[in-house]
Amino acid sequence: MNVVENTFASLWPWVRRRRMTARIMAAVPGNYVLTALLTACIARLLPAPPADASMTALLLSFLIFPALAIAIFSVRSVVRIWIYIGAAIAAFSVLLFVSLSAGGRL
Amino acid sequence: MKQSLRQSMSVLHTWSGLIVGWLLFAIFLTGTCAYFQEEITKWMQPELTTHADSDLAAINAVEYLQETAPDAQTWFIGLPDDRKATTRLFWRPGENADPSAPTRAVLDGQGAAAEIRDTQGGFFLYRFHFDLHYMPAILARYLVGIAAMTMLIAIISGVITHKKIFIDFFTLRFGKGQRSWLDAHNMSAVFALPFFLMITYTGLVTLASMYMPFAITANYKSAGDFFQEAFFSPDNASPSGMPAEMAPMSDILRVAAQRWDGAKVGDIRIISPNDENAIVVLRRSTSEAIGDRSPQIILNGVTGALIKASPDQSAALATESFFVGLHAGRYADWGLRWLYFLSGLGGATMIGTGLVLWTNKRALKNQKAGKTPFGFWLVERLNIATLVGLPAGLAVFFLANRLLPLDMENRSDWEINFLFIVWAGAFVWAAGRPARRAWAEMLGLSGGMFLLVPIVNAATTSRNLFVSLGNGDWVFAGFDAAMLFFASAFGYAAFKCLKVKRPAPRPVLNKRAGLPAE
Repeated sequence: MNVVENTFASLWPWVRRRRMTARIMAAVPGNYVLTALLTACIARLLPAPPADASMTALLLSFLIFPALAIAIFSVRSVVRIWIYIGAAIAAFSVLLFVSLSAGGRL
Repeated sequence: MKQSLRQSMSVLHTWSGLIVGWLLFAIFLTGTCAYFQEEITKWMQPELTTHADSDLAAINAVEYLQETAPDAQTWFIGLPDDRKATTRLFWRPGENADPSAPTRAVLDGQGAAAEIRDTQGGFFLYRFHFDLHYMPAILARYLVGIAAMTMLIAIISGVITHKKIFIDFFTLRFGKGQRSWLDAHNMSAVFALPFFLMITYTGLVTLASMYMPFAITANYKSAGDFFQEAFFSPDNASPSGMPAEMAPMSDILRVAAQRWDGAKVGDIRIISPNDENAIVVLRRSTSEAIGDRSPQIILNGVTGALIKASPDQSAALATESFFVGLHAGRYADWGLRWLYFLSGLGGATMIGTGLVLWTNKRALKNQKAGKTPFGFWLVERLNIATLVGLPAGLAVFFLANRLLPLDMENRSDWEINFLFIVWAGAFVWAAGRPARRAWAEMLGLSGGMFLLVPIVNAATTSRNLFVSLGNGDWVFAGFDAAMLFFASAFGYAAFKCLKVKRPAPRPVLNKRAGLPAE
């Protein structure tokens, strides 16, 4: 039993560092991809002339990104963060793909 | 191992603040100076004393351009006003033009050619705060954007970390070592918290389409199409090749005055001058309203008739214009301008004290462990070099403006080089000295440099502080007085730094501030 605990303890800093890296990857690149997709969806789907929709999405994107970053640092489980981000990226990708295939604007 | 929200926010705040701290400090300091960029430029062009007359300047500028670059593709005229002392001309040369010929000129406030020393003036400080220097502007803007976004996140996580930040605002304990630094950090943060949030967010908005292009590519094939639609630009008027005489500028200005009820014209663009298809684009001065995307009118350059005017902005576009205007503060009158300036200095103080706090919190631990990690050493030296070396560099930038020979080649570049030589020199100096001595020496040096500015000004021009005060020349008097203020502030800090003994090591309890023990 002692052996297991000692092994785990010696590994702990490594595990913790890996978790911090995973969190930072979620908070910066993951967050950027998600924000970009969400912003593009807002720009596509907002019922307004294209210039206004694009501008509104642009202005919102700089609120979305920091809000997501804070949220990512406040959720305790890194695994859960990546599940949420992955799901959101998938959902908004589909939405954007459908919107682009449907045409209009552009 | 329970990690509370505030603990994770504290980690986020500490480390995000550290990695971009020095860059942010430089951006904040130069950006803050940029609120007075026109006044700084005036001070850096002491030979210029003419009273600005915008209409006269426009008429004379066209005359100058007719002589200098009659076959240019485009003329651009930035008009002087109460704050801007000069008329600034740029032109895109015609295809047959000599490629080595100049494409810009600075005329005096009435559009007459003037002997003005070669300087970028306050404009350099404005440019540096988003384009940095010695690197491509695009790269710089990405770096600045990353720093700004990190700042936004550091502000939000900082507020969550310092739960009692608003209560602590009323607490400033002097001479209590690290506790005083924390109080100073909190106080400067709360003092202008709405300003920091506003300035960081709106700063990102000014370059938004670069940082988040997907908002635009979602709806437009090219960004150019979006800008054309959103920001109103004249349809491409290609020259016909048939020469024609331009409508007199006085007539064109009359159309603008009628259209805008006498509001000032900010700048004039003349596309295909001296051609049958010439058009003139006038933009209302940005000092007239908060929104920075000023209304424009397009006139036929030959007949002087109004072709079209920029439409009223939609809510989204007006909001963007409002944000950009709020950031740049070009609309602000004197009172508000000073408030901007002081808030900006508060921002630099918040960043600076935060950086010092990082080292102070770890100094004790290092003392106990009996060794200094390289990371700590580097942060401490970068703090000295940037927090004190950069201000010293600014003072030397002003000194170089007075002391470099007027006929020197690339003179304006050298003014700027001196700023960076001092900044880099400060780092080298700090690296070779014990930290506390380096702080005191650099603070003293900065104070001395600021003190020299009004003295050298008095020695090299006829516009010393007393003459300026006597003439009611508030730009010059204000500039010299500000230099004396900074000289005494740095001098006082140097004095305190030498005098104060390091408090005896004792456990630091930060229960009140809710800081986690690290």
